[in-house]
Amino acid sequence: MKRQQTNRRPVIATLAVVIAVLALCCVAAIVVLLPKMRATETTSGPTTADQRSATLTIAYSPEKTALVKDLAATFNARKLRTPDRQAMSVELVEMTPEEMVTQALSGQPAFQALTPDSSLWLDQLNRRWAQSQTQAEPGAIAPRLVGEPVRYAVTPIVIAAWADAARSLGWPDQPVGWSTLQTRAQQDPSFKWSHPSTAHASGLLATLAEFYAGAGVQRGLTAELAQDPRTAAFVSAVEKTVRYYGEGEMAVIQRAATDGPKYLDAFVVSEQLVVAFNTGAFGQPPADLIALYPSEGTLWADHPLALLETAEITANQRRTFQALREFLAEPAAQTKILNAGYRPADLNIPLDSPGSPLTAANGVNPAEPQTTLQLPTPDVVSVVQNVWALTKRKTNVFLVVDTSGSMRGEKLSNAQAALRTFLAQIPSDQERVGLVEFNSGVTNIIELDTLASNRAVLTDAIDTLEAGGNTALLDAVRTAYSRLQRQADLDRINAIVAMTDGRENASAVSLRQLTAEIQAGNQDVPVVIFCVAYGSDADYELLQSLADASGGQVRQGTTETIRDLYKILSSYF
Amino acid sequence: MDLVPIIGALAGGLIAIGLSIYFWIAAARGGRRTQAVFFLILGLVLIVVSAGLGWQKLGPGNPEPLVVAPRGPVQVRVLTALPVEPWVRAAAQRFNEGNFRQDGQPIEVQVIAMDGLTALGKFDRDDFGALGNRARADLTAQELEQLTTNFPTVWIPDSRYLVELANASYKERLGRDVFLTDGEYRARPVAISLFTWGIYQSRAAVLDKTFGDVDWQVIHDAAIAKGGWPELGGDKAWGFFKLVVPNPRRNVGGLAAMIAAAGEYYDRTNISVADVTDPAFQKWLGELMGSLTDVSGASAYTAEDFALFGYSVGDGGQLLESDLLNNMAGIQTRWADPLVIRYPKYLTWFDFPFSIWVGPETTAPEKNAALQFEQFLLTPEIQKLAVQQGLRAANSEVSVTDGDTLFTRWQSQGVEAVVPRTTRMASPSRDVLLALLRWFDLNVGQ
Repeated sequence: MKRQQTNRRPVIATLAVVIAVLALCCVAAIVVLLPKMRATETTSGPTTADQRSATLTIAYSPEKTALVKDLAATFNARKLRTPDRQAMSVELVEMTPEEMVTQALSGQPAFQALTPDSSLWLDQLNRRWAQSQTQAEPGAIAPRLVGEPVRYAVTPIVIAAWADAARSLGWPDQPVGWSTLQTRAQQDPSFKWSHPSTAHASGLLATLAEFYAGAGVQRGLTAELAQDPRTAAFVSAVEKTVRYYGEGEMAVIQRAATDGPKYLDAFVVSEQLVVAFNTGAFGQPPADLIALYPSEGTLWADHPLALLETAEITANQRRTFQALREFLAEPAAQTKILNAGYRPADLNIPLDSPGSPLTAANGVNPAEPQTTLQLPTPDVVSVVQNVWALTKRKTNVFLVVDTSGSMRGEKLSNAQAALRTFLAQIPSDQERVGLVEFNSGVTNIIELDTLASNRAVLTDAIDTLEAGGNTALLDAVRTAYSRLQRQADLDRINAIVAMTDGRENASAVSLRQLTAEIQAGNQDVPVVIFCVAYGSDADYELLQSLADASGGQVRQGTTETIRDLYKILSSYF
Repeated sequence: MDLVPIIGALAGGLIAIGLSIYFWIAAARGGRRTQAVFFLILGLVLIVVSAGLGWQKLGPGNPEPLVVAPRGPVQVRVLTALPVEPWVRAAAQRFNEGNFRQDGQPIEVQVIAMDGLTALGKFDRDDFGALGNRARADLTAQELEQLTTNFPTVWIPDSRYLVELANASYKERLGRDVFLTDGEYRARPVAISLFTWGIYQSRAAVLDKTFGDVDWQVIHDAAIAKGGWPELGGDKAWGFFKLVVPNPRRNVGGLAAMIAAAGEYYDRTNISVADVTDPAFQKWLGELMGSLTDVSGASAYTAEDFALFGYSVGDGGQLLESDLLNNMAGIQTRWADPLVIRYPKYLTWFDFPFSIWVGPETTAPEKNAALQFEQFLLTPEIQKLAVQQGLRAANSEVSVTDGDTLFTRWQSQGVEAVVPRTTRMASPSRDVLLALLRWFDLNVGQ
């Protein structure tokens, strides 16, 4: 028996080793396969982990960057968790309201919640989304993409004017309205004012006010009234007094901070920006701004925060949204909002509480506004936007383009893409655009003409740009400037967008001569020069001198940002 | 991830058999065989389990597991109308902290804020993904996950007539009600709030002087005054008279206000489609609605807007009493001009019925957990909490004037604990509601 057992031992031992090896293989399989399975799941659609995500990405409009970042950081620092222990966190993505609408409608937004400057955008989003869905019967309840919005901060739209300009309009003894501003601008050519385009709530309000005044009504604006030739003629006349448009309130207020009263006499912004300006958020104010609440009525920027009700929203993201909503309603957050110059949504916080910046000393009156303009139906708003696009002040703009040797390669190809974007962003064929190409001298000129006539010519010229030679920037700017002066077209905005990547080294005219010419010429025919310093080698100081002489500005661009920069610049016309 | 239990069971089984062999050898040296037999059985069982799991996962016709193991607490998702949402949310928080259980599992109540009309639209379009004629067992794991994550267990709409409308829609589609009107799971009101006039005191004083008691006709006459407030005897800076009525596309309160206006116009409680489409009534209503400040649909025009934007957006309007009461103090702080409350001749109100979804989309434990939450909402303690938030209690044991409540605090501004008038508007039919919405779309705006 002993011998038999002894003989079986190696067999059993071998069996044990084989089984042990198999077991080890199984364990190894788990160790190796598990991460791979997880990796596969992350790249192949919603997973359990995704379904439990408590990270909420919020798109916000740019004018409230500082406030939103501060609030999100405070919220994230709390390290809240959902009942299933997922970390609640808020991520931010800056976006214009129009981009939010476009992305949300695309079905692939990079965010789950949004906070634009006005509920107008949520309404537009809901309407456009509902139109894309099938509607069962007339009058049926339309689907909505946007969930119930919450408000945490509001601010009225105002006419911001320097104290002297405000007094000249009748403040504080007389009511100042849209008509006061429009009349003054038409009667006094030296009076400079501006409002953003209708892509911004403040721009839309200013435009609506013009349409109401033009139609001779104060409510009940209809599509017929908005399209009436007399209304259009009135709006056109008022719009001719606009200095130039721009990318939004933020750019205008920053410019006002650097240039002071010589920039504009009055402009349309939110009350919060007037407070921020006067309290030094943009540096030492060159003079005090006064918020004028239009007597005919204004509009509120209500900064709604809402979820996009898509199927991808997780229960935990809803929890994060709810937690954020509760956080924003807390006295500490609301006080922070007040300190930033907004009117907090919590009505229990008095606007005149200690430390509140909403004071007469900061140019605002918390008891205002007394009344609001009637916001028409979405269809009428669309008509107003369309008619405005036709009646707004038209532009003569020269694109001055550097094709010196240093532009070779990616720099030139990205610049070409940027120029094409610029043209594409100007939808009206009535705008006049020309082009001056330069390197060692001016090498090509496409004369100013309406885009209806020369859009294709410009596109061809842009496509065939070639780099080589030196940099005769000043000669090129002078070429464009003299042409605009010769046109002497005071009905239009006259502008030059000059781009260079290097240092001036080939022009016949000196900087001093050219700036003197510009300052003299601009007395009769104002021409604004926007300079683009492309890359790190551009002569920023020279460009600044050109911009200063014309009341323009310098923007810096890189191969990565040049396209967006030209897109922004197109909004000025 | 799904293969881990299979491989784990297989590994465990093999290890157990290995141990069995070890003990077998040990037994040959004089030890006991019991341990060897134990590990042998354990190993075989684990291998069989592994094989079973493998067959379920990888075998033909079984692409997805048949059942999803219950995870965590029993979820009760409550779709809640906006006027009661803060109260329901506060109650849910207390409930969740109260260690309530269903079938041994803890209950978690999740509140989702949604206007009643929006929710009705979602039910109408089946946005929540009702099963229809499918059974739960027919669902894939993903579909089941979607259902258990998103489908509302309970709906607390603003008014009972919204429940009836949802039932009508599902009856057409499924041949049965989804919210019951009798039995254990019947829809029961959990709070009540009336529609009242809320007018800024400075403006109310002028209207009183010019017209007498405020009613829809007075508001209409103020709305059509071509010269605005100066013509009515008010301040020039106030501009035109501005009416506040919730946008019926955004807030079901707007529909309630239009129904009340129609009641006063016709001086009766029942409104038909013929009444709504009458040209004379439509002209009158159009003139009235012409005084809305925002017809863009951008704002829901709730009492919150009324308070937040003050007299700049509205001089007065018919809104929910609870919303107005909640904003009285804030309005005084922000605008230094208090509101006065007036009760209309024809009363409309919301009763916020707690309606449990009785279809197969919700499980029995979820329904019973919802029932527990409903009972919790009706307890005197939670009903008192509702009164603190300006709602009238559904539980008759709780009085609105018991202690320092919003009702006692604002009596001087016209709030009445007991409303003497009893003329109540009847619930409108679906056709009347749709006719009003259609008129609004065509004549005022979305």
